Amino acid sequence: MTRLLRGTAEETDGKAPDLGAAPAEGGPEPHTPDAPHTPDTPDTPDTPDDGDDTGVGSRFTTRWRTAVLVAAVVALLLGGSAFFHGAHQLRSTPSARNHALTDTAATTRVGGDVGEGLARVFSYAPAQADAAERSARTVLSGRAARQYADLFAQVRASLVAQRVTLTTQAVRTGVIELKGNTARLLVFLDQTSQRDGAPATSAAAQLTVTAEFRDDRWLIVDIKAR
Amino acid sequence: MRRARVLGAGALVVALGFCGTGAWTYAQARSDEGLSFGRERDTALAEGRRHLTVLNTLDASTREHAEAGVRAWREASTGPLRTELGRTAPAVGASARAEVTEAALTALDVRAGTAKLIATVRVDVTPRGGAAATSDRKRLEAVLNRTGENTWKVAALSAVPVAGAEGSGKAEENEKKEGGDE
Repeated sequence: MTRLLRGTAEETDGKAPDLGAAPAEGGPEPHTPDAPHTPDTPDTPDTPDDGDDTGVGSRFTTRWRTAVLVAAVVALLLGGSAFFHGAHQLRSTPSARNHALTDTAATTRVGGDVGEGLARVFSYAPAQADAAERSARTVLSGRAARQYADLFAQVRASLVAQRVTLTTQAVRTGVIELKGNTARLLVFLDQTSQRDGAPATSAAAQLTVTAEFRDDRWLIVDIKAR
Repeated sequence: MRRARVLGAGALVVALGFCGTGAWTYAQARSDEGLSFGRERDTALAEGRRHLTVLNTLDASTREHAEAGVRAWREASTGPLRTELGRTAPAVGASARAEVTEAALTALDVRAGTAKLIATVRVDVTPRGGAAATSDRKRLEAVLNRTGENTWKVAALSAVPVAGAEGSGKAEENEKKEGGDE
C-alpha cells in the first residue's frame, strides 16, 4: 500500500520495475508521454486485461468506467428518491392520515369520550340544577361552549319553572375523521324529557361534533345539528 | 487515483443502499395493512353514501320514471334488502329526493367485506300533482356488503328508532318506501 502510494508520487521511476516484471509489453510504455497514466492500470486488481492495453486505450477505459460509475450512482440516487417519494405519497393521502377505524383504540376512545360528554351535558335534573353547566365546563370548549351557554340561558328558566328532567343518551357514534388531535363525529342522541308527573316524551337529535384532544381527554369544540 | 477509485466504490455502495432502502420503504407502504384498510373504509363510506341517496330517492311522476327508480334501488342493494325491494311494484305517486347530509362508518371488517354505516338524510317529498314539498330528516343505519372489487352495496337499511318510541325503524322505513310508490 505505502509502496504503491510512494510509487505514484515518484512517477515512472517507481513504476517501471513493476511493469517490467509483469508482461513483456510493459517495457515500451514508460517511453510514451502518457507514462503517468500507466500506473492506473496495474492498480485495478479486477481487470488484468487492461494491462495489455495501450495508454490511449486505458485512458479511454478509465473515462468510460468513470462515466458508467457516475451514471449508475445518479440512477440509483434518482431511483431511491423516487421510491421514497412514492412511499411518502402513499402515506400522506387524506385516506392514510385519517385514523378513523384504522386506529381502533383511538376511535373507541374519542367515540366514548364524546358520547359520554354529550350525555352529561344535555342531561338535566332539577335537583342538580348546575350539574350540567358544571360538567359543560369540563367537556366543552371554544365555540361549543359558547353555543351551549346561549342555549342554556334560553331554556334555564322554563326548566326550573316546569321541573323538567332531561335524560340524554348517545345511541350511535360514528367517527368520520380522526386526524392527529382533531376528530369529527356523527352522533345520534335520544333525549327523554319528563315534567313533574307527566308521561315522558322522547325526541331524536343528530349532531356532527368536532372534538379536540387536549390534556389527555377529548373536548367538544363545535356542535352542528344535522 | 486510488483514492478516486475508493471514493467511486463508496459512492456506488452508498447509492445502492439508498436505493434499496427506498425500495423497501415503498414496498412497506404499498403492502401496509393500515393504509389499505383506510382506502377500503373511504370506498365503503363513499359507496354507502351514494347508495343511500338512491335508496331514499324516487321519481314517481310517471310510471317509466318509477320503474327506473325501483331498478336503481335494486342496483344499489344486495342480499335481503334486494329481495325485499324486488317485491316492490313501481307505481305513479309521490316523489322523494334525498340528500345524505352526514355519514360515518361505525364498523368495518375488510376480510369479511362487511361494514356498518350511520347517516343523516334529508328527504324532500313532493306529492303527486305539484303540491308544496315537505322536508323530512331521517337517521338511518345501513349494513354494507362488499360485492366486488371496490363495490359495496346496501344489504340492510333501517331507521334508528328513538328509545321509548313505538314501532321499529324498519317498519317506518318500509312505510316511506310504500308511500313513494302509491
